[in-house]
Amino acid sequence: MENVGSLFHGFAVALTWYHVALMLVGVLLGILVGVLPGLGAPNGVTILMPLTFTMDPVSAIILLTSMYWGALFGGSTTSILFNIPGEPSSVATTFDGHPMAKQGLAVEALSFAFLSAGFGALVGVAVITVLSGWVTEFALKFSSPEYFAVYFLAFASFVGLAGGNPVKTVVSILLGFAFATVGMDTVSGSLRLTFGFDELLRGISFLIVVIGLFGIGELLLTMEEGLKFEGVKAKVNLSGVLRTLTRLPRYWIALIRGSLVGVWMGITPGGPTAASFMSYGLAKRFSRRRGNFGKGEPEGVIAPETADHGAGTAAMLPMLALGIPGSATAAVMLGGLMIWGLNPGPMLFLERPDFVWGLIASMYLGNVVAVVLVLATVPLFAAILRIPFAIIGPLIVVVCFIGAWTVGASKPDLWLALIFGLVGYVFKKLDYPVAPLVLALVIGDKAEDAFRQSMLMSQGSLTIFFSNPLVGTITVLAILLLAWPLFSMLFGRVRAGRAEKMRLAE
Amino acid sequence: MTERALVSRTTMEVVTALATAAIGAAVMWGSIEHDIGWGDSGPAAGYFPFRIGVLIVLGSFVNLAVALWRRGTQDVFLTAEQAKRVLAFGLPILAFVVLSLFLGLYVGAILYLSAVMVFQGGYRLLPSLTLGVAVAVAMRLIFPMWFKVPLLTGPLEAWLGLY
Repeated sequence: MENVGSLFHGFAVALTWYHVALMLVGVLLGILVGVLPGLGAPNGVTILMPLTFTMDPVSAIILLTSMYWGALFGGSTTSILFNIPGEPSSVATTFDGHPMAKQGLAVEALSFAFLSAGFGALVGVAVITVLSGWVTEFALKFSSPEYFAVYFLAFASFVGLAGGNPVKTVVSILLGFAFATVGMDTVSGSLRLTFGFDELLRGISFLIVVIGLFGIGELLLTMEEGLKFEGVKAKVNLSGVLRTLTRLPRYWIALIRGSLVGVWMGITPGGPTAASFMSYGLAKRFSRRRGNFGKGEPEGVIAPETADHGAGTAAMLPMLALGIPGSATAAVMLGGLMIWGLNPGPMLFLERPDFVWGLIASMYLGNVVAVVLVLATVPLFAAILRIPFAIIGPLIVVVCFIGAWTVGASKPDLWLALIFGLVGYVFKKLDYPVAPLVLALVIGDKAEDAFRQSMLMSQGSLTIFFSNPLVGTITVLAILLLAWPLFSMLFGRVRAGRAEKMRLAE
Repeated sequence: MTERALVSRTTMEVVTALATAAIGAAVMWGSIEHDIGWGDSGPAAGYFPFRIGVLIVLGSFVNLAVALWRRGTQDVFLTAEQAKRVLAFGLPILAFVVLSLFLGLYVGAILYLSAVMVFQGGYRLLPSLTLGVAVAVAMRLIFPMWFKVPLLTGPLEAWLGLY
């Protein structure tokens, strides 16, 4: 019950006027970036980050995480009203949310989405509260080989669980690692992979890469589709929200299943996007009303939303306790932690309990604030989307490049953001996942350090990753996950072959 | 297929796989400048990146092989219509970056925003310029004044005595 005491201490940190005001600002900015295409949670947090470098870390993380929650909520607004996901993680919400809105049930769809999302988020925070002490204890036993094995496991789970093309995922991760090695080597001090360009001495900033991949790239993709924002008008009233709230407990199975999927995918780095799709898929397979899915079934809104937010909040646990981000946005925040001079990992809980528990307490509060604010501001943000894209599109571009400039006040960064924008556009069209690239870029240095330390301990023998039960288990698990696509492909072939024979026999 | 493909998916897959392979090769080449073996303090500076480079090249070749294996498919990467829309949005961004590098972000933003509004949005010049200037003023208030983060300025600001 030590955690409960710490949590109360955290509430004392989070519940100051200044921090509550930051929460409100963060959530509102978050909803804005969530609503606008091309400005998602990772990109919004990235652009805001340079402005927090001079702030106190606790205030800064409260502002940035509140923005994250706001963005997750804002993404669902556009999914339901406009059939355009404001965030990749709210794609699954369009399947049933928009049909509901078109049937005149927009208020119900929005209320279901936000309330169940709030539920998922609170489950995520509760899990963090309960598990953090245990995970920290566990992580304190780690030395370099264990750390490298956990990093390996995180990336292997991207390959094995995220469901994309495994080889493309691997290449994406490796490119992130390669970009991370550019610049000064932390061990030997030598300058690596700069190819004589002075501009590369400082290395490639993950903030610039995120602005390019997630901002410019996403915008180019949006423009290519030639989107028209023709939305359903919705007036949110209190009675409609309350009516929905009383109907919500009926969907308890979807709520619990969604939360579990979300928390699981958030802790093992699958991320909110994969979580929401998985939860929708499970609900569609097992629901009693499965025939109604895709035609405006409330359960089809509740399932992805709960998982999306559960994953978003749960992703903070591995970020804080192990230094492994569970989503692209968490990766950006992890990078921010290091810039603020904090060292993510179990020691953070011992050295800076005010920071960790202040953040966790703010997550409870921030998500409740976000549900209320997002419901209250639906008409406002829907109106913003009715501004013609000839105005709003270029404005987003300007904001992205201002963000790129504020990272390091360097001219080549503007070019780099543009180049990564193009890369992001091509990669997304060809199904190369970009989130793993960002994760690898952020933790690349730490992973390399852990690897080199391990090699030093073992005099260059890879057997150190199997040298005790703990590290051995993690490594074996990672290898299994990495090989999973191969197994399922072979198994699929055999099954397909058998089915073919059966068909021929008939 | 209703629309004609400007670039086929296979072409783009091949180009991308070759590009990632080239990056992998560059990483290997850059690592060889350092020691890629065992130094005084364990693995040397080039040890880790060299192996990453090798793996990138291998992965890229697998992607290349898969793309060539499936070259019979008729998937489209980009239609002419899509290309037009992407260029109409992308080329002004390029112009904005180039302008900003020489004239600063404020002037760049004013020119870019008002030009897009006039030529693509069909707005008249005056409201477009007004909005552009309003955004520049907002940028100045938010970044250098409020957050104390200066933005890139150019010759105009120097002439006006603003920094």
